[in-house]
Amino acid sequence: MTPHPRLGAARPSRRGFLTGGLAASFALSSCAYIRDDVAVDAPLPPSAKAEIDGDLVYFNWADYLAPRVIKGFQEEYGVKVIESNFDSMEGMYAKIAAGNQYDIVFPIAKWVVKLRREGKLRAIDPAQLTNADQVFYSGSYFNEPWYDAGSRVSVPFTVYKTGIGWRTDKVSSMTGSWHDLWNEEAAGHIFTLDDQDEALAMAALTLGYDVNTAKPSELEEMKKLLISQKDLLRAYSSDDINDMTSGDAWVHHMWSGDFLYLRNGLANNPTKFDFEAPVEGVPINSDTYAIPTNAQHPGTAMVFIDYLLRPENAIKNMKYLYYPFPVRDALPAFADLAKDVPACNVEVSDLENENVFRLLPTDEVQRRAAVWTEVKAS
Amino acid sequence: MAAEARAEARAEARTPRSAQRTWLWGALLALPTAWMVTFFVFAMAIVVLLSFGRTTNDGFPAFATSTANYRALWNDVYLELFVRSLLYALATVVIAVLIAYPVAYAIALHGGRYKNALIAAIVVPFFASYLIRMYAWKALLSDDGLVNSGLRKTGLSDGVTFLNTPWAVIGGLVYGFVVFMILPIYASLERLDVSLIEAGKDLYHGPVRTFFAVTLPATRAGLYGGVLLVFLPALGDFVSAQLLGGANTFMLGNLVQQQFNEGQNWPLGSALTVALMAALTVLMVVYLRATSTEAREA
Repeated sequence: MTPHPRLGAARPSRRGFLTGGLAASFALSSCAYIRDDVAVDAPLPPSAKAEIDGDLVYFNWADYLAPRVIKGFQEEYGVKVIESNFDSMEGMYAKIAAGNQYDIVFPIAKWVVKLRREGKLRAIDPAQLTNADQVFYSGSYFNEPWYDAGSRVSVPFTVYKTGIGWRTDKVSSMTGSWHDLWNEEAAGHIFTLDDQDEALAMAALTLGYDVNTAKPSELEEMKKLLISQKDLLRAYSSDDINDMTSGDAWVHHMWSGDFLYLRNGLANNPTKFDFEAPVEGVPINSDTYAIPTNAQHPGTAMVFIDYLLRPENAIKNMKYLYYPFPVRDALPAFADLAKDVPACNVEVSDLENENVFRLLPTDEVQRRAAVWTEVKAS
Repeated sequence: MAAEARAEARAEARTPRSAQRTWLWGALLALPTAWMVTFFVFAMAIVVLLSFGRTTNDGFPAFATSTANYRALWNDVYLELFVRSLLYALATVVIAVLIAYPVAYAIALHGGRYKNALIAAIVVPFFASYLIRMYAWKALLSDDGLVNSGLRKTGLSDGVTFLNTPWAVIGGLVYGFVVFMILPIYASLERLDVSLIEAGKDLYHGPVRTFFAVTLPATRAGLYGGVLLVFLPALGDFVSAQLLGGANTFMLGNLVQQQFNEGQNWPLGSALTVALMAALTVLMVVYLRATSTEAREA
């Protein structure tokens, strides 16, 4: 569903691995959640002014911004950041839908579509943000991103791609194709992400189909392809960083930022690891900043977003998360961070391809889920 | 005669107090009853109702009167998962008994004054979350983990693939639940009259025959309880398979979890849950009847 792990570590693995997908996903079955009618295409609640109007109630993945950046905000503006965390997009959505009040949230692209459609996000007026030109400059992809027409309710946070990481000391025959996930040289040490959208997208791209396909005939082919991988596969896992550091994985379907963190932040010998963005195309995804409609301190949230858009703060966060931020004056710093593995960078041309995870109707999600279940269960 | 009268008088005198006691018990029960009704019965009712539900086009679970979710259960894949989960749970129970019985026996009969300390030593690690302990296993057993580097250093082996195998999953389940086997067996061994074993030794000769003729039957209740306490959670578990499992160790619990998460199909997940509970209930009733008959005969 999302490129984020269900259970366990991953993006980056510093993100609290103990929370797991379980607690949140099962804890959310409040009655309010089970209902039929949802308002769609509600008019947008107006933007707040960027003025401090209280402490900031912050709702994000655990450990998903550099602590010193958050600390700096508290010191500079004399407010507290009250942090709570989600461990899946489903969990985040359910809490917002249940009426919990947060000032700033960090939805992945397709969840922006859903939240905006249901009127759960407040407009964000770029004119209120002194650093808006860092992301909304002329010619920026984010002036009109696919998930938020006119960028009315979201501000881009990070972008990332999914590719293949591998051990250069164990495997010598990589070809730059998704077929490398079937590389016999790494038999028994190959991992595919334990993620419905990512695994299906990998199969779809290998076969030349749309990453969001729900056509039964295509899904059937994808299913066969994925099942054919199982003889060589060690496991399905989203704990890509730990799988690589533990020596279990030699070839891992993995997220670009995780790879860069592994290579530059963890490995004793970085040259043992390399990453490729397969030629058939790779999924691209974006995280965003957004302000829920029922936020109690939207003004502080606006100030916070503006603060995060400062290039120096974006650079601090990038060096912590290892994901590129589309902040103009911070781009060279990321290019430098990824200079040995340029495949980890996300270019404008990557953003403009159509390999993004769209919000699909329920029947299509369920059809895709059935295929994924059969793959894992067979 | 006089004794009887006295007893009667005593009984009469006690009546008001015992009525009071009944009232007190009722009051004490009110809170747990309310708690159970709200959080167990009510929650279960939602699951059962939702198993006849559907998913709206916006991805919300909604109540309905559809049997489609139950019809979807007749599926070879699900059957295969059920059999696999059953086998894993049974293997878990067998291994847990083999570990737990000697441990409980040693502590109960030879623990002496360290008994309580030893039991505490077994229980305390279980205060740490199951999830954390599974992560610890990953660190220990990975290809470059502590165990494998030890094996390589000592030249015993150039590395064993422990993780992502069925045995890793079963091992995780055993480790996760073995304490529920140890405690009931320990409790029944604690109550065992040691002179029975001594008598058995005189009667049957030899410790092995004594064990099977005296000790084991006498502690049957604890053993049966332990089997149930380990088997049920092991069958529905998904953490071990998720963290320690491989490409071919998907269990029923993982299937249910998937429906509630990525699958966006709470109603199907609920139907799976209800079906699994029904199967477990049947198994449990059969088991309890068999064991209680046996216990009565013995």
